[in-house]
Amino acid sequence: DEILCSLAGPPSPPGQDPHGWRVPVDCVRANELCAAEPSCSSRYRTLRQCLAGRDRNTMLANKECQAALEVLQESPLYDCRCKRGMKKELQCLQIYWSIHLGLTEGGEFYEASPYEPVTSRLSDIFRLASIFSGMDPTTNSKSNHCLDAAKACNLNDNCKRLRSGYISTCNKEISATEHCSRRKCHKALRQFFDRVPSEYTYRLLFCSCKDQACAERRRQTIVPSCSYEDKEKPNCLDLRNTCRTDHLCRSRLADFHTNCQAPSQSMTSCPGDNYQACLGSYTGLIGFDMTPNYVDASTTSITISPWCSCRGSGNMEEECEKFLRDFTENPCLRNAIQAFGNGTDVNISPKNPLHPVTLLPKMEKSPALPDDINDSNTMYDMSIITTCTSVQEHGPKLNKSKEQSLCYSETQLTTDIMPDQKTFTDQKADGSRHRVRGMLPLAPILLLMLEL
Amino acid sequence: SRRKRARARHKPCALKELEVSVSELGLGYESDETVLFRYCSGTCEAAVRSYDLSLKSMRSKRRIKKEKVRARPCCRPLAYDDDVSFLDTYNRYYTVNELSAKECGCV
Repeated sequence: DEILCSLAGPPSPPGQDPHGWRVPVDCVRANELCAAEPSCSSRYRTLRQCLAGRDRNTMLANKECQAALEVLQESPLYDCRCKRGMKKELQCLQIYWSIHLGLTEGGEFYEASPYEPVTSRLSDIFRLASIFSGMDPTTNSKSNHCLDAAKACNLNDNCKRLRSGYISTCNKEISATEHCSRRKCHKALRQFFDRVPSEYTYRLLFCSCKDQACAERRRQTIVPSCSYEDKEKPNCLDLRNTCRTDHLCRSRLADFHTNCQAPSQSMTSCPGDNYQACLGSYTGLIGFDMTPNYVDASTTSITISPWCSCRGSGNMEEECEKFLRDFTENPCLRNAIQAFGNGTDVNISPKNPLHPVTLLPKMEKSPALPDDINDSNTMYDMSIITTCTSVQEHGPKLNKSKEQSLCYSETQLTTDIMPDQKTFTDQKADGSRHRVRGMLPLAPILLLMLEL
Repeated sequence: SRRKRARARHKPCALKELEVSVSELGLGYESDETVLFRYCSGTCEAAVRSYDLSLKSMRSKRRIKKEKVRARPCCRPLAYDDDVSFLDTYNRYYTVNELSAKECGCV
């Protein structure tokens, strides 16, 4: 194991351009960097004109457009990403897609997420810990976790205000014919999920249920009569096309596919075993055309779907079914929801679900990954405490990436306290190792408390 | 304990809170959801004005006989909290406004 302490900032990975071109910055910043350079800014202007109202093939037929695209692949704009809920998120996404629509084939099944990978998990651990510390493990089977979640929200002023905000908006009758304003309802829902910490929102959305009243309450969370159901069920591929015309919806869908797509090697879990990232990108879809929800109030099986079906798919039936199955029969999503509901994400499990994802999952025709996978999150990582992230090996494709731990202050502490947590598993037949450095998630908190 | 009671009675007007179920509010809604009910409680002795003293005097001198008057400031909400929404037992959403106090004062 190679252990890298990152107290003095992340180490420069080998092969990084000294000019910092490959350091992913957010696209708004990348745009500023590009604007400061005459050659970059003129090429970018050209490319935007090329893309305006033209499909990719027409654009690439033009020599000038092609040249502009080639030059821009060397610029910071090429690797730039956005952050959910950032200032100027829409502007950032517009910049991202202005480049990436030219880079991708178009009409791809999965698109790479324009959002930066979720690596900072410390705050999440705190959140989860605070949720489950308030949960008595001996509560009887009659307890309704969804009702408890509503209580927790009602007792928090911010959560209560924004919850009432979307409920009253989504429940407001406009006229005899118009049952509610879907547009306003979606906007209020987005505000709720953007501005309320996930310790409240996840609890409402992903509470575990043992009876139907609880499951129905869970299904009702997003006021589905207004935000979800419609008079007609569109075809899922048509709905996807509608979503892709909107930069925000397109980005959230790509993010969902990136974080909730079970890796082909294991059909049971999430990319990097990062349940948090999957739940986050699922939640990010609420309030858009692709709003997902529980299809019924079943307590035994969880079925999620957007409001669409595969009827009328024509010869695209197979693709439609595949698209829909990523919601209805997605083991990663289901496991993530169940793990959250059971509180198992904070307990030690052999799969170590708190493993952060710093790598994009393998995707069809995804744009090349940045060479360095170490510092993708440093721009935003404002926390005083250095986060401990580990990057696991992802097969031979990225075999140069050693497992690394960016540690809290003394890595030894973690391993000394929990020597058993260091597990080593031989997973795959092809001999590539899959290492899991287990960390009792609460231990860092204890360590921090000692330090404070 | 008598001294304790006396001290409690003399607490000045302030905001207090209670966790109650929606059904307990007595507004006719049936829901097990818990909401935070904030109310105003306490005395307003410090807020007695010449108005109150004079009014009391007028009443005792029987210059005011039939009308209903209040010669004492009263601890009441000065502002109300934001709306509260909840799901009832029949899975319908309701929003109630001005349910809970936000700020108290002697008026």
